[in-house]
Amino acid sequence: MSASVDLADFLPAYLAEAEELLGMGHRQLLAMEASIRRGLPHPRAVRELFRAVHTIKGLSAMVDVEPIVDIAHWMETCLRHADRAGGRLPEASVEPLMEGLREIEQRVRQLAAGKQASPVPPGLLSRLEALDAEGAPGVSAAKAAPAALALEEAVASRLSAAEREQLTTGATDGRRAVRLDFIPGADRAANGITINSVRERVAPLGETVKVLPLSGPTVGGGALTFVLLLLTEASDAALLEAAGGPPASVRPLAVVAPRTPALAPLPESALADEEPEEARRGGGSLRVDVSRLDEALERLAALVVNRSRLTRAVAALTAAGAPTRELQAILQENARQLRDMRTAILRLRMVRVGDVLERLPLLVRGLRRSTGKSVRLELDVGDAELDKAVADRLLPALVHLVRNAVDHALESPEARRAAGKPEEGVVRVASHGRAGGLLDLTVADDGRGVDARAVAARAGVPVPPTPDALLEVLCRPGFSTRDAANATSGRGMGMDIVHRIIVDHLGGELGMETRPGAGTTFRLRVPLTITLLDALVFECAGLRYAVAVGSVEELIEVDAARLVWPAGAGGVALLERRGNSVPLMGLARLLGRGEADGRGGSVAKALLVRQRGELVAYGVDRLVGQQEIVLRPLEDPLVRVPGVVGATDLGDGRPTLVLDLAALGLARGGGAPHRRRASVREEGRLA
Amino acid sequence: MSVLHVVFKVDGAEYVLPAADVLQMESFTGATPVPGAAPHVAGLVQVRGRVIPVVDARLRFGLPPLERTLDSRVVVAQLGSRVVGLVVDSAREVLKLDPQQLKPPPPLVVEGARGFVKAVAQVGPRLVMLIDFPRVIGEETLDGDGQR
Repeated sequence: MSASVDLADFLPAYLAEAEELLGMGHRQLLAMEASIRRGLPHPRAVRELFRAVHTIKGLSAMVDVEPIVDIAHWMETCLRHADRAGGRLPEASVEPLMEGLREIEQRVRQLAAGKQASPVPPGLLSRLEALDAEGAPGVSAAKAAPAALALEEAVASRLSAAEREQLTTGATDGRRAVRLDFIPGADRAANGITINSVRERVAPLGETVKVLPLSGPTVGGGALTFVLLLLTEASDAALLEAAGGPPASVRPLAVVAPRTPALAPLPESALADEEPEEARRGGGSLRVDVSRLDEALERLAALVVNRSRLTRAVAALTAAGAPTRELQAILQENARQLRDMRTAILRLRMVRVGDVLERLPLLVRGLRRSTGKSVRLELDVGDAELDKAVADRLLPALVHLVRNAVDHALESPEARRAAGKPEEGVVRVASHGRAGGLLDLTVADDGRGVDARAVAARAGVPVPPTPDALLEVLCRPGFSTRDAANATSGRGMGMDIVHRIIVDHLGGELGMETRPGAGTTFRLRVPLTITLLDALVFECAGLRYAVAVGSVEELIEVDAARLVWPAGAGGVALLERRGNSVPLMGLARLLGRGEADGRGGSVAKALLVRQRGELVAYGVDRLVGQQEIVLRPLEDPLVRVPGVVGATDLGDGRPTLVLDLAALGLARGGGAPHRRRASVREEGRLA
Repeated sequence: MSVLHVVFKVDGAEYVLPAADVLQMESFTGATPVPGAAPHVAGLVQVRGRVIPVVDARLRFGLPPLERTLDSRVVVAQLGSRVVGLVVDSAREVLKLDPQQLKPPPPLVVEGARGFVKAVAQVGPRLVMLIDFPRVIGEETLDGDGQR
């Protein structure tokens, strides 16, 4: 692992993450303040805030933003005391913590604007440190006057407060704080002595606090020195030996008291250097609330509906012998424009897959730390784009798969070495382009592969014969547990969640290939766009159906005693609605699922729908409720019928039809004989 | 070179379909009826997250409907870019057939089967029929089967 991180690569993900964490931090701190006012502890808020600050600190350390690391560190210390005190925070601590969050936020903004984060305001750290002393006098006595380290500025300035503290307090612990300077060179590399091998050999000798590359002339004419800051009980000779002997050198880190201020004071005016809001988001992009795009799409839908009315009106004129040639040409042009407009709006919702995956490198870095495994993440997704709604749903599934790959599939460096593999495991997320409105993605690792027998034993089933069958077992709800068996089964956590997202929510496909000892590849196929619909779900003749909420004008109760049955109306009743009579059709009969005469059905509710400008009521048995559904269009000619917009999964694993009542009424409302035949055959089929 | 075929039963008779065209076989637990679809379309089923239309082989062959049983299967087949299921009485066998074993069906069968049977093969004492899948599911058009 290299000691330096290319800031630019991680910055977008870092900024997004930091912003989210700060928002959360603010909320928790406010909750804490409210509790303090009522004299109550709020352990959960303390812990949540601690976690947010801790994560900010970790992320900031990765991208080398030391001022934020420093502020976060002292906030963390203060919160740790509050946590130990059962979630009680002195009221006086709220304001400095608030200030801390504000300062962090300001520095995040500076970074977003392409600037350097300004140094920590000196007053703040001392206020936070004072809290620390108040919070736990006993514990912080040693820290009250932390010693400074004898380090040249180039090194000292690159240590975080936490690291500095670790080196000074660690040194009083019976261990010594030393710096080991290692100078890499071609001759040494030829003998297998590189910074990586030195790190490995030093590791058992003590605790490596930090490794810093320093550029500048070195002994032997090189231009690079690695400074390893260690806490160790080993002798200088042993350390020197681990670094391959001279020109490496070992020096003790004298702890110098009294403390010198490590951070230069800075003028207050620098803090007022707040960016104007508009300037904060750079580049030519814009953040738009998705609901606004949806609104635009809805407006467009209204235009389309209006156009079809226009078309009918023109057709009527033509039929009446009017000269409509020019009108027709305009209509055609109009249709094309609407199509283009729709494409343009849909494109607004598309996001780059690469941007969606922005967080994965940070995730993997975190996992690398928590698991101690050596992992390389490869992203190869090209320019593929996905609808925002799909991307939002897809990301948690990818996070799950990548996490599983690192946690469970990849072996420890030792095991990999023993198996003759490179120590560094690879997790690869790739996209192999798109076809037919679908995007193919793979998440592959070169780990141990899924042990079908272990999985079978765990699930209590026979060993699955095919990868598909194995995946099916892995995706069973409840298969996911956290016990040790997972570590050997190679896969396990939350595959049911992945399956639910990819297959049930997105209507995609999930496949798996695995080879023992060689690794596992998950293949995901997801639609580029999905249509979300606010739908009313109801029951009719024993089946559930959904309709778009927007298409229904009103929901009414049907009082059977007050219905009028005109003679010869083919089973269409009339109901009175605000002084008007509205035709009521039993939906069961339209769907070919009711009695042919339509009478005596158990219609209890009706949906009022405007059909060619006229209100029509469709009687149903029962309303189930309103919910957001994912609409899956029906493309096969066998089931492309008027009145059926598509299907959706309401969670029972069976398709539920999504209807367009007006279109259904128009298509199937006339011609009773056809209906009767239809109902006969439906019954036959159901048998 | 013999070719693997999936064998399924409809009303006691045995039919085959090249295994290469079959994506999977699923137990059949009922379909969601689609109003206005052709009579032989049993409706929609969800197979591994995908919503596909299924054709009822009995209705298609003009046979009396049968109560769904535990043996009922959906043979999910790929037809170009389409994926369509066929509901059959049972399907639990694969068979290797030499292309030379497949003979044109006798004229009587052609007539009776309305072109659904493409070839027949004698396998030991059994006679299996190779079905014309595109024709069974109703080709591309809704009205192509002349039943509406």
